[in-house]
Amino acid sequence: MTQGAAIDPITLEVIRNKLSAIPEQIEANITRTAFSPLIYEYKDFAVGLVDIECRLISQGKGGIPLFVANILGAAVEDGIRFYGKEGFAHGDVVICNYSGVLGQHLNNVVMYTPVFAHQNDAVPVAFLAIAAHWSDVGGREVGSSATNDTVSIFQEGIQFRTVKLHNAGQPVQDIYRMIEFNTRFPVVVLGDVASQLGGCLLGRDLYQGLLQQYGADTVQQAIHRLWQQSERLARQVIEGIPDGTYTAYAELDDDGVQVGQVVPIPVTVRVLGNQLEVDFSDIAPVLKGPFNSGALGGGITAARIAMSYLLPHGDAPNEGTFRCLSVVLPEGKFLSAPATAPMARYSTPLATVIDVVLRAVGQARPDLVAGGHHGAFGVHVFSGKKANGELFKNLETGQGGFGASQRGDGSGPFKTYAHGDTFNVPVELQEALYPVRFESLALRTDSGGAGQFRGGLGVSKRVQVLLDCHLNVSMDRTRCPPWGVNAGHDGASGQVILNPGTEREERLKKADRSLRKGDLVQVDSGGGGGYGEPHKRAPALIAQDLVKGYVSETAAAEIYGYPDASASSRH
Amino acid sequence: MHAPNPGFLLAVDIGGTFTDLTVFDLETGHLKAVKCLTSYDNFVRAIDECMVALGLSIAHAASFKHGTTLVINALLQRKGAHTVLLTTRGFRDVLEIARGNRALPYQMHYRKADPLVSRERRYELTERMSAQGESLSAPDLAELKALASQWQQQGVESIAISFLNAYANPAHEDSVVQALQTLMPQAFITAGSQLSREWYEYERSATASANAFVGPEVGRYVNRLSQGLDERKFVGERYFMGSGSGVISFEVASQEPVRLVESGPVGGVVGAAAYAKALGLSNMVAFDIGGTTAKCALVKAGQFDIKTSYWVGGYEHGFPIRSSIIDIIEVGAGGGSMARLDVEGRLRVGPESAGSFPGPVAFGRGGTEPTVTDANIVLGRLDPQARMGEDIQLSVDAARSAIWQRLGQPLGYNSEQEVPQIAQGLLTLVSVTMSDAIRKITIERGEDPRDFVLFAYGGGGPLHSVELARELSIPKVIVPMNAGVFSALGMLFAEVESDESRTFLAPLNAANLAQAKTLAEGMLSAIQSRMSASRAQEQWEVLRHAELRYKGQHHTLRIPWHLETRSEELQSLFEASYRQRYGHLTVGASIEFVSVSTIVRHAVQRPDLQAMAGQATAAAHAAPAHQTRDVFLARSRSWQKVPVFQRADLPIGFAHAGPALIEEYGATCLMDEGDAFHIGPLAEIQIDVRLPRNDSPTGVTP
Repeated sequence: MTQGAAIDPITLEVIRNKLSAIPEQIEANITRTAFSPLIYEYKDFAVGLVDIECRLISQGKGGIPLFVANILGAAVEDGIRFYGKEGFAHGDVVICNYSGVLGQHLNNVVMYTPVFAHQNDAVPVAFLAIAAHWSDVGGREVGSSATNDTVSIFQEGIQFRTVKLHNAGQPVQDIYRMIEFNTRFPVVVLGDVASQLGGCLLGRDLYQGLLQQYGADTVQQAIHRLWQQSERLARQVIEGIPDGTYTAYAELDDDGVQVGQVVPIPVTVRVLGNQLEVDFSDIAPVLKGPFNSGALGGGITAARIAMSYLLPHGDAPNEGTFRCLSVVLPEGKFLSAPATAPMARYSTPLATVIDVVLRAVGQARPDLVAGGHHGAFGVHVFSGKKANGELFKNLETGQGGFGASQRGDGSGPFKTYAHGDTFNVPVELQEALYPVRFESLALRTDSGGAGQFRGGLGVSKRVQVLLDCHLNVSMDRTRCPPWGVNAGHDGASGQVILNPGTEREERLKKADRSLRKGDLVQVDSGGGGGYGEPHKRAPALIAQDLVKGYVSETAAAEIYGYPDASASSRH
Repeated sequence: MHAPNPGFLLAVDIGGTFTDLTVFDLETGHLKAVKCLTSYDNFVRAIDECMVALGLSIAHAASFKHGTTLVINALLQRKGAHTVLLTTRGFRDVLEIARGNRALPYQMHYRKADPLVSRERRYELTERMSAQGESLSAPDLAELKALASQWQQQGVESIAISFLNAYANPAHEDSVVQALQTLMPQAFITAGSQLSREWYEYERSATASANAFVGPEVGRYVNRLSQGLDERKFVGERYFMGSGSGVISFEVASQEPVRLVESGPVGGVVGAAAYAKALGLSNMVAFDIGGTTAKCALVKAGQFDIKTSYWVGGYEHGFPIRSSIIDIIEVGAGGGSMARLDVEGRLRVGPESAGSFPGPVAFGRGGTEPTVTDANIVLGRLDPQARMGEDIQLSVDAARSAIWQRLGQPLGYNSEQEVPQIAQGLLTLVSVTMSDAIRKITIERGEDPRDFVLFAYGGGGPLHSVELARELSIPKVIVPMNAGVFSALGMLFAEVESDESRTFLAPLNAANLAQAKTLAEGMLSAIQSRMSASRAQEQWEVLRHAELRYKGQHHTLRIPWHLETRSEELQSLFEASYRQRYGHLTVGASIEFVSVSTIVRHAVQRPDLQAMAGQATAAAHAAPAHQTRDVFLARSRSWQKVPVFQRADLPIGFAHAGPALIEEYGATCLMDEGDAFHIGPLAEIQIDVRLPRNDSPTGVTP
């Protein structure tokens, strides 16, 4: 055998499969038992195994990428800081949402429980950890994070900095009461807590079973080999990018408080051999409004997600994946904000940050990336009271076009790069549960950036409210639309229009409005950026776009010069 | 006077490669089974060939049941009719916008399958229904007329109709179906609400589109088959195997072909349930290994779970349909699964399959990648001397050298002597995938696999199942007779079935339960009007289920109930089931209905397992002879001389210790040292699995 290693390649593969199967089983259970659509449809959660040094052993792929390596480890690290490595008992369950550790909005709560290899061990060998978005943790607004203009984290909810929810298997009722009476949706939140807890305990048992079956040492050995493999694979990819310094620029419209003041996001990517450096030194400082994130939950997370998109395989990342990545992120930037900064909408900028990091890489390796994607979360929330007096919150985010690439037209409409297997909310479900009625849900003609390969199309939805209620929207990327690549055109930006085509028409970006019964809200998502010069697009593809109505005849004539110029447009 | 010969029951499972046919003689209790190559140009010919091989005539069959991969293949290969989709004005893009998810999150170039009906073939009609089922604006029939004449000119063959909120009230869809039947009498017309009365517009539209897409072709197929049966003077009852455990009439099959999407694999599960009942086994995992995939399903107290979502082409890239389908988990691991090293030099087995062509390396038909079957041949687990089909002489050397060159050398093994170790490793890896499927269907549903009997069939099931059971700490494996053609055999047991379900979103209380009962009565009469009038009502079995959940949750649990069930009873049934599955209850949360469903089953003549077993073992010997073969065994990781029995030689009650091989037509059963088997009362092989000590597959300490 190679390297005289004690573990053979087959056992290694068996353990790899089992390590990824454990989080996947837990994910399936959580989507079945969670109470909030933010978890079971939006997949705003993540399941992983973290070792005693807080390194990520494995993480499921079903959850949202925003929890990618290593929010889970950071929470555990904070626990070890307080309790010490010997301070955990079998059956302890700890929660943490502290902004100074996770650097994300307070809805994101990590829950974890120790796994002991043998019954009388003093120190656990690992932790089963689950991050999940709790529907409401108090604060100024319904849902805690549906705000564009909070100016301090203390307006955004309660913080649980490393507290034991269960003590050696016994529920700590004081903490349960703290949770119950600091949320507007106690039934939903406690239901989700039960689901998260059930996942932690089952996952712990499954991992214990694996340790028993193969022996803790063998599993440990396998984990290190797996990290090495992931590291090697990532370094191979980076090695394929020519050495050099690459810069790219994007910006957000504003931070919701200082309206109209752009938030610049210039990034520098440096490649040297098999090492990748993402430098955020020049980005905007901490923002007044709630679009900040801490270094780990913000800048580092975005850089890691971006890097994951460069890797050829679909494996979920682990500790080894990011050893070749370094992130330069001075303190006091909006992606490295202090614990007290407002972070309610921490995730909104990250899709654009991922987009711009990939844009920089694209200068070196255009084949690895695509044009810009719609990139805006486009959150829109209807809230208020139903006819029966019950409080409701109907939250949805945009689903838009992805960029075109050398390989072909852009795909979509999907949620953003910061999302994963995240589902939209069906019209029928919204109409049955909330006082809304849809007028239409349609692809936006001409929203995909023109090019030899066209960007994916955005979506236009028109919703009428059937009762007086509240609207909160957060649209962005209007000043910095999804960019085209290699002379491809930009995609259309998203937009929100209140009562379109009437005297009361109003265009909104980040806004709160009181709606009257009968008001119509139009939310359009952006299209993806195009690739290559439009006149190089094959006439057959333009003809097909016209038949399908993806492109209007006007645009075909004006942008693509179709049909007249078709004779000269072959490449 | 002689009583007329009661004839025989016949089931045919037409798959991509083989047509499997089984008959059960009602007079003698004899079962016969045969495999023929599927004839693509004329599938009835394969049935004829099988019948000739058995020396029987279809004319004497009392009933004909048919499982087919026609629908799933047409959907996967996108070979269907010129189809249009008609939607509510403003919503023609629902089918393309889909759900916004990227099932493979870290893949930048992820794409999902194109919609089955492309945009220029999707049309809108002015009409609107509210979520409460009130008509807000009636369908515009003038618009419809204009569309119909346009479609006629375009040569449209098939029309899918899917309106928003039609689940709450299908009146608009119904009236448009009626109008179109007059306007376009030649076209195949289908509405989403006829196929599913559950909410979620994308899923229902996708279901209607799929049904319309395959409708005309399935209609022609059913006609050809009917004609073929008529020509052969068949006068018995004729059915298709539906995906939901029962058989459906030819008529229903041609109107609702999506009901046939899992038509093939379901037969095996139905057969497994028949054995479970006959043997009195309350917990069984039905496990089927074929050429490309392994499939498993739970059979509890002789019943299986039904789910209503199915992904055509898989979850990652495919599209959903809503239809009642037995809850089967399928993984890409079977005899043809290929072993390869990935870019990182890691050994992977499956999901790519060498299929039947080129097939495994040992078949010598151009296959170059070692497969699971190659490993089985190299290790002597499959008979290296066997002849496959007409002229295929297996080449052990070719398989061995492929494993060495493709896997052993690049993985850094030292010498070709280690090929058995590598082949064994390949099998270990594929059994991880298979056992993962069994873990999923048990643990994810709150069950402990150790409480189950593994019931193995399919070409590869009996060969791999004992090791799988050991890995999962399952103490008992059962292999039925005719394991290699078991799906066709199982179909013989399927009953006639019809079902309906309605979305019913309401808190669980006495008043709403009364309303649910009204809905249930309505569904029953809808089914009555559909079922053949010749069926005596007293022979009906009516099953009612309520999909319940904690208010706020998305996923539901399916709880059986009847018209006398009280609200509190239903609540405690839900809670018991919830605790069983998820290990906890959510105190203080209220429970709500999401939907209610009704299934009507009508028993048909079924084979008698006892009689079958008696016939099958009539020629057995009390002291059966056996040969021996060198087999590389997994437990000792060494070559041993292993006795090889022929199944037909083994009488009921025969017992023997492992290691042992039992061969029969189309399947080989392997037991290792420490295992033991005996032939049970139904001539099934019952294997006591030697379990490793202190092993806990789930780690769940009771």
